Amino acid sequence: MISLEKVSTAYKKENILQDISLEITTHVSILGENGAGKSTLVKLLCGLQPYKGKIRIDGQDIAQLSLLDLAKSIAYVPAQLEIYDVTISVEAFVLLGRFAYKERFFAYSQDDRKKVQEVLALLNLTQLSQHTMGSLSSGQTQLVLIAQALAQESKIIIFDEPTANLDPKNSKIIGNHIKELKQKHQVVLITHDLHLAHFIDSPILFVQEKQVRFETDFFQAERLQALYGVAFDNLAVAYA
Amino acid sequence: MLRLFVWLLFVSTFLLSPFVGAVDLDVTQLLVHDSLSHTLFFELRLPRVVFAFFAGAVLALSGMLFQTLFRNPLMTPYTLGISSGAVLGAGIAIKLGLATLVFGVASVSLFGFLGAFLTVLLLIYLSQFLHTAYNTSLLLLGIALSLFYTSALMIVFYLGSSIQNDMLIRFTMGSLSIIGWEHPVLLGGVALALLGSILLYKYELQLMSISDTSARLKGVDTKKITLLLLLFSSLAIGVLVSIAGPIGFVGLIVPHMVGKLYPITIEKRILITALFGGFFLVFCDSITRALQTQSELPIGIVTALIGGPFFIYLIVKGSEK
Repeated sequence: MISLEKVSTAYKKENILQDISLEITTHVSILGENGAGKSTLVKLLCGLQPYKGKIRIDGQDIAQLSLLDLAKSIAYVPAQLEIYDVTISVEAFVLLGRFAYKERFFAYSQDDRKKVQEVLALLNLTQLSQHTMGSLSSGQTQLVLIAQALAQESKIIIFDEPTANLDPKNSKIIGNHIKELKQKHQVVLITHDLHLAHFIDSPILFVQEKQVRFETDFFQAERLQALYGVAFDNLAVAYA
Repeated sequence: MLRLFVWLLFVSTFLLSPFVGAVDLDVTQLLVHDSLSHTLFFELRLPRVVFAFFAGAVLALSGMLFQTLFRNPLMTPYTLGISSGAVLGAGIAIKLGLATLVFGVASVSLFGFLGAFLTVLLLIYLSQFLHTAYNTSLLLLGIALSLFYTSALMIVFYLGSSIQNDMLIRFTMGSLSIIGWEHPVLLGGVALALLGSILLYKYELQLMSISDTSARLKGVDTKKITLLLLLFSSLAIGVLVSIAGPIGFVGLIVPHMVGKLYPITIEKRILITALFGGFFLVFCDSITRALQTQSELPIGIVTALIGGPFFIYLIVKGSEK
């Protein structure tokens, strides 16, 4: 469970989120306009953004957690691969997800390597394991990023616009995997992709004007129009 | 094949290097105490080869470290202005007349180290204000600092006497001419400290070579480790520059050469990079001595002349696919 208590945060002295109090007990999909503060909300949970107030994960104040412990409770899947050394292999890249479990100053263990093989197999990536990260397609890259997060064995997984760079077919594949992961993990999804949000079928948290709130009738055309200011019709055609 | 050739060339030059120079050694006299050959070999040639080796290792390791920590292929102590900071520090020491025989060596080294170290602190301080920290803006900052230091050094020149300026000019050319074992031992110490600290944090470094954010999210205290490794690097660079002056190009090209020759992840390349850098500089230094010109060719010219074409060859070959 994630809880925020009177959390405010600013960027360049301007408040982005103000006095947010919120409890996220289960899966959640976070939506909102560009610049509404979705990414900031995620940065807060990952400990990447300074803030006022209290943020707790399962009752524990994240300000008190070490970076290693935080990595064991939250994994983050970015929208795209940000990487300097593209020669690293898929297997070595996924293994990096095990850092928090590795003994300090020592090499990754056999257990770590076994876990990597497990997640690669789970996501049908085994035959790609020796390919370099630079040689992958966008869809494959997104899968590998998910694999790395799974290797982290955290209870919470945050997906930050996972379909932003994908075609419909790959979006569907990623969507299916995310939906499956809801069984074992608390999935926090940030997206602009209404089809995906509808398919994932988690409670909707809408970010607007420095505030957040749960939306109940989000996918009703009238409600969508009220929130986004543009007309919608027949959204549910998306994924079968 | 190319790898094998390069290493064979390096190792054989390394072994032959102490025998190369303006004066031919009498090999039979080598082990005779107080003979000219003995003194030349053990007090000049051997210390110089060892010093060149450590210098190359420090430059290559620092280059690799900067490129990895800041994820930019152009980052080196040279391009970030850290070498220039050390040169300015050493220049000020020379200008202030601290280069006396008694305290001279020590104070120039100290000022050189302070120049490098303060520059690192300044870069870290300024990088907080950059939105895209650790990237292009930081590189621009380094270049701006370099230009600033160069101008400041010009003022030192302007105010200096001709004797001081002569010392300064020779210093800024970079030279591996040293006498005795004091400098190789000192540089060897800081080089090993740098290598040790990098090896100790190689898994953290591997994560940071992906991205700073991703490393933090996996549990790496990136700020602490960046600061720590930069400290060791600026210590080594400061010591090196204060003794040998600035030697460019090695820190930029050697890590890339190793990367092209060994396309493996960063944590496996650390030791190879150190060895390659060391051998490379010994190789270049052997050429300056083998040429037997009137006065010695500055080492930086040779590193650029040999490294440049080989570097271009590797880039073009690497992009062919």
